[in-house]
Amino acid sequence: MDPFESIKATFFQECEELLTDMESGLLAMEQGDDDSETINAVFRAVHSVKGGAGAFGLEELIRFAHVFETVLDEMRSGKLPLTDEVAKVLLRASDVLADHVAAARSGGGVDEGRTVGMIADLQGLIDQDRANELGLNDHGDASGADEDFGFVPVVLSLDEPATDAPDVDIAALLSAAAEPAAATPTWKVIFRPRAEMYAKANESALVLRELARLGDVEVSLDASGVPALDQLSAEAAYLTWTIRLSGDKSEAEVREVFEFVEDDCDLTVVREGEAPEMAAADGAESDASASAVEAAAAAPLDLEALLARVAPTAEPAPLEIPPAQPVAAAPVAAPAPAPANLDVAGLIALAEKASQDHAQAAQTPVAKADPKVDQKAEARAGSGAATAATPTIRVDLDRVDRLINAVGELVIQQAMLSQRVFESGLARSSDVALGLEDLELLTREIQDSVMAIRAQPVKSVFQRMPRLVREVADMVGKKVRLVMDGENTEVDKTVIERLSDPITHMLRNAIDHGLETPEEREAGGKGAEGTVRLAALHRGGRIVIEVQDDGRGINRPRVRGIAVTKGLIAEDAVLSDDEIDNLIFLPGFSTADVVSDISGRGVGMDVVKRSIQALGGRISITSEPGKGSKFSMSLPLTLAVLDGMVVSAADQTLVAPLSNIVESLTPRAEDVHLIGGRDAVICIRDTFVPLIDVGVALGFRDTPLPPASGVAVLVESEGGGKAALLVEAIQGQRQVVIKSLEANYQHIHGVAAATILGDGRVALILDVDALVTTSRRKSPRIEKRMAV
Amino acid sequence: MPAAAAIKTLIADDQQSMRSLIRTSLNALGINQTREAADGEDALRALLAQPANLVITDFNMPKLDGLGLLRAIRAHGPTSKTAVIMLTGRADRELVQRAVQFGVNNYLVKPFTTQTLKEKIEAVFGPLE
Repeated sequence: MDPFESIKATFFQECEELLTDMESGLLAMEQGDDDSETINAVFRAVHSVKGGAGAFGLEELIRFAHVFETVLDEMRSGKLPLTDEVAKVLLRASDVLADHVAAARSGGGVDEGRTVGMIADLQGLIDQDRANELGLNDHGDASGADEDFGFVPVVLSLDEPATDAPDVDIAALLSAAAEPAAATPTWKVIFRPRAEMYAKANESALVLRELARLGDVEVSLDASGVPALDQLSAEAAYLTWTIRLSGDKSEAEVREVFEFVEDDCDLTVVREGEAPEMAAADGAESDASASAVEAAAAAPLDLEALLARVAPTAEPAPLEIPPAQPVAAAPVAAPAPAPANLDVAGLIALAEKASQDHAQAAQTPVAKADPKVDQKAEARAGSGAATAATPTIRVDLDRVDRLINAVGELVIQQAMLSQRVFESGLARSSDVALGLEDLELLTREIQDSVMAIRAQPVKSVFQRMPRLVREVADMVGKKVRLVMDGENTEVDKTVIERLSDPITHMLRNAIDHGLETPEEREAGGKGAEGTVRLAALHRGGRIVIEVQDDGRGINRPRVRGIAVTKGLIAEDAVLSDDEIDNLIFLPGFSTADVVSDISGRGVGMDVVKRSIQALGGRISITSEPGKGSKFSMSLPLTLAVLDGMVVSAADQTLVAPLSNIVESLTPRAEDVHLIGGRDAVICIRDTFVPLIDVGVALGFRDTPLPPASGVAVLVESEGGGKAALLVEAIQGQRQVVIKSLEANYQHIHGVAAATILGDGRVALILDVDALVTTSRRKSPRIEKRMAV
Repeated sequence: MPAAAAIKTLIADDQQSMRSLIRTSLNALGINQTREAADGEDALRALLAQPANLVITDFNMPKLDGLGLLRAIRAHGPTSKTAVIMLTGRADRELVQRAVQFGVNNYLVKPFTTQTLKEKIEAVFGPLE
């Protein structure tokens, strides 16, 4: 690929993440989070999108992002307060931005009318005069002309290694940026003891303490000269202190402090703002400082620990000693080699302070002491630290899939090898067998790890839902608040991809049918705004997705009436509330008086149910009249491996998913009855269930197996229907790697997939649901009606 | 006249695509000794581990922004003379002024061409060979 194109592809990948960050930030803002960090994160996301768009010449995207960014910048600087209205406009703008990104990516167009309208809405948030000032009304000249500002580049020479004492007066720089300069003159003292000083039993701490008597001091330690521990000489001197001393003292008074050590140290005393002369003075000894760069490289800096240490305190403690405390604190600790760290920690603290200063400077001075905000900030800092601790890499999906496949093969090979060895009659205790056992454990571990790689948070699906909810709510004229929980719940990639449709449908259903109109809600004593909660959680080795609304709940008399009208249940059927609620999943059932555009074109919940069942999932509903309904669907965590029961039927080896199996038994001839002369049922504990001869059902043979000579495996389909599968024998239980039949051959009714067994043979995995449904209905299913 | 090949450069930007673009431009100018960092802290860490002649940093980065990075670079003796070119999303006078205050060597407004980048670097180091 052309490098430019490949960078562009990277950019669009980043855009996805940026848009997600933006949306979650905006959603937080919608909930009233006007924390500067949240607003800043949203701003940064839009800003980055625009920046990248600029680099790739995506004009339409730049134009829109520019207006969006400008509005966010106004918020960031506190000029535009966050209101409900503003948040709503911003959320809609984020949808338009996402459209623009998608259009830029695909090379397609955008809805021009919507864009223009959105730009107008964004501009409407800003005072007209201000908008003109910002140049917002000239349709966003985003090119960012390279204005000069009278900027003079600072020239550097490459020939001169940048190692010696800095030209820039840091202390002055810092004080200029932080606090207004003190009125009293400030002395800057640079104190670098030589080894001789220590040899004469002089102590830097004492000197510094003495200095502190003269006035307020700020001491910083440069420990960058400290070598690695194995090169550290106990006799040598490595440390340099820089002391800022304020107070009305003369240079002589300052120097007097160093009277006894003056000959054994390098000392510079200058007024604040003057360049220190140290570099010139100690030309002969500059070898120490000349190697400072190397020293910095060699010093064992544990930055992670330092950053962690800096984060919670936020105060640049290591660098500043309050005058009230004894100055000895820092110097006493100093001679140890560890303090090399202090400097870096201090630097970062300083740097962070600089950022904060800037952020504060950019904001209107509003003192905010809201403890809630602080807690939030802390929580964020905590989570930020956690994220920082787990670095991630971006890996091509193909590579992961290849790995998954290879591991699948490995599992099969390992199983085959075990079986061969076992068949060859080697003793269980033989070295080979024991080695194989270890190999099996290892293989299982590798498999688990690989599966974990593929596991992804459901966030990628959830993040698309707020927009859907907004749009559906707008369309049906309802007010909806979407609450999402458990976005970080992980599930296999293959499952994630297929979650989107059912969730979409359930959410649409909840808004369209579940929630009342604002007027109805108010009449019913509820808030005008309905709440829909979308949650994901792990339960019993499966992932559960819940969609809950606080709407009107299932209208049971009506549901029952419709079911009777449509002939789905008998008029006098006695049904529990639960059973009535679950009628809505029956094929052909639709409670909407008018089939709306939202919940589907005549497609009811039965399709949702089927598409979930196709994933090995279940769906159920609980409802309380007037209070709302909750749909729960549960799905397996992976579609790549399966715990199965290996059975044989008509000389074929087949696998029945363990999750479907209730029990297995040897049928007695008297328990089996024929209905209508051909359909067998079996009586298991006073309940009749269809008896399906698997060999016949799959067309392996024509004549049924005499029931008494086989084994009946009682299975329950995801839909709750039961049947007994008649097979010849049960071979055992095994975890198998699922191989798609559709991908390699074609779909076969009654067969879900295939796998390769230990002996190298292909075994078909039974589609229990299909078998049960067929047996119960005795009519070909209407396959694959389009799920919404 | 410094050889472009001799300029050790560190690119700090939170966007991989931006880093790649800058690196591609630098390579076109013959500056091949480049390293990358995804935020200010990363950049500082990289600089402390191994010095560079030039840091091209984005202003807007998580954790530690460009100004913070600049300040940290200037405050630390061994790195204080590293050239810093600040990338900004737009010509923001206030931002540039602050960067000047902290001792930035030059600034560059995004999007930029390789030619502009060259000019900005040459303004600091003199003409590239």
